[in-house]
Amino acid sequence: MSDFTKELDASGLNCPMPILRAKKALKDLQSGEILRVIATDPGSVKDFEAFAKQTGNELLESIEEGDSFVYRLKKS
Amino acid sequence: MEFTNIHLVSALGFALALIFGAVANRTNFCTMGAVSDWVNMGLKGRFGAWVLAMGIAVAGAQVLELTGLVDVGSSIYRTTSFGLGGYIIGGLLFGIGMTLGGGCGQRTLVRVGTGNLKSLVVLLILAISAYMTLRGLLAVVRVNAIEPMTIDLAGQGIADQGVASVLGGWFGFEATQAVRWIVGLVIAGVLILWALRQEALRESRDNLAAGIVIGLLITAAWFVTGYIGVDDFDPVPVEAMSFIAPTGNSLSYLMTYTGATINFGIAIVAGIIVGSFLYGLFSRTLAIETFSDRNDMINHLTGGLLMGFGGVLALGCTVGQSISGISTLALGSFIAAFFIVVGSALTMRVQYHRMDDMSFFKALGVGLADVAMPWRMQD
Repeated sequence: MSDFTKELDASGLNCPMPILRAKKALKDLQSGEILRVIATDPGSVKDFEAFAKQTGNELLESIEEGDSFVYRLKKS
Repeated sequence: MEFTNIHLVSALGFALALIFGAVANRTNFCTMGAVSDWVNMGLKGRFGAWVLAMGIAVAGAQVLELTGLVDVGSSIYRTTSFGLGGYIIGGLLFGIGMTLGGGCGQRTLVRVGTGNLKSLVVLLILAISAYMTLRGLLAVVRVNAIEPMTIDLAGQGIADQGVASVLGGWFGFEATQAVRWIVGLVIAGVLILWALRQEALRESRDNLAAGIVIGLLITAAWFVTGYIGVDDFDPVPVEAMSFIAPTGNSLSYLMTYTGATINFGIAIVAGIIVGSFLYGLFSRTLAIETFSDRNDMINHLTGGLLMGFGGVLALGCTVGQSISGISTLALGSFIAAFFIVVGSALTMRVQYHRMDDMSFFKALGVGLADVAMPWRMQD
């Protein structure tokens, strides 16, 4: 079983696109479901921390995998 | 080569820009990011940093001017030519461009310093399009389509487009020294207080540092060109930091080096790149970045083109008009800064609605409604 409900690949996109896409993707999820986001923009680390804090969607994980940054957001 | 006044001014400008580049890199100072944080997350920390820099620069530049140290009014911003068309259209195009191009002129230079090759391409296109708008093919468009919308304030008996002079002209009072102190203090106070009211600014040391340091650097830049640089026999223009025309001039300087002379703006452009590079080296964050796909490249090329063209029309960017220009209290600078933000916010809303497979024109319509009536915006 995968540990996320939906996956969003925002590789190659830079600010503000990864956040815009994540915002859109979260809209389609139910409360408690998990969105996994893959991004390559180094600026996305701070962006997703701020996004989670501001929107109340919990940032379960923020890790660096090779050249990518992987996030798991739990919809509030 | 003889070391003359222009070399002194340029060397000092380079030193100030080194600090700017390092601090902007470290603190992630970015006007496009600031608009994104606000529009997409409701977070006003980075926007607050930008406004704080404006407020501090207003206070600094006004003190320099009203105490008679620096004639900031002789810079390009506060003339009697009120280029309304350029402020609005140029501001909008610049705002759209910086959103597509991954950041404004300042951010592009900072990212070039860290090894971002996407930003290097944006920078080259921006420089070419800015120079073309100053002197080349696009100057024909500027002169024939945009400049006719310029209002000559001198013809209406108004001394310049400073807020105090314009208010005086409208309401029939004289913009005396006392009036100008009051106007300066009120505007600086409103900007600084608005910024400090934002919790996201107060609780972030990076945002606070960016706002304060950049506001002070702009003030210092006025002092360098307008006080240290004053020389009757070897005069230099009074200016602070700006990044669009100077980027065009920098490219021209590199290509005509043997017959060209450096100036303050060129030194600033170089200083930002080097300052950012040194911070990246020190913090081990240098990384080569390249275009990921076709759309990525198209967006960045369009962004550079629009920033160069729009930035020259608007007489500046998120730093040139929006901090340096605003610090002179030129009315046009406030208008240009406002439309840069509108252009950027609109682009983000259109991008957001386009993800729903909305047609471009429908997304544009909904986006325009979002920006015009943000309180009715439905996510």
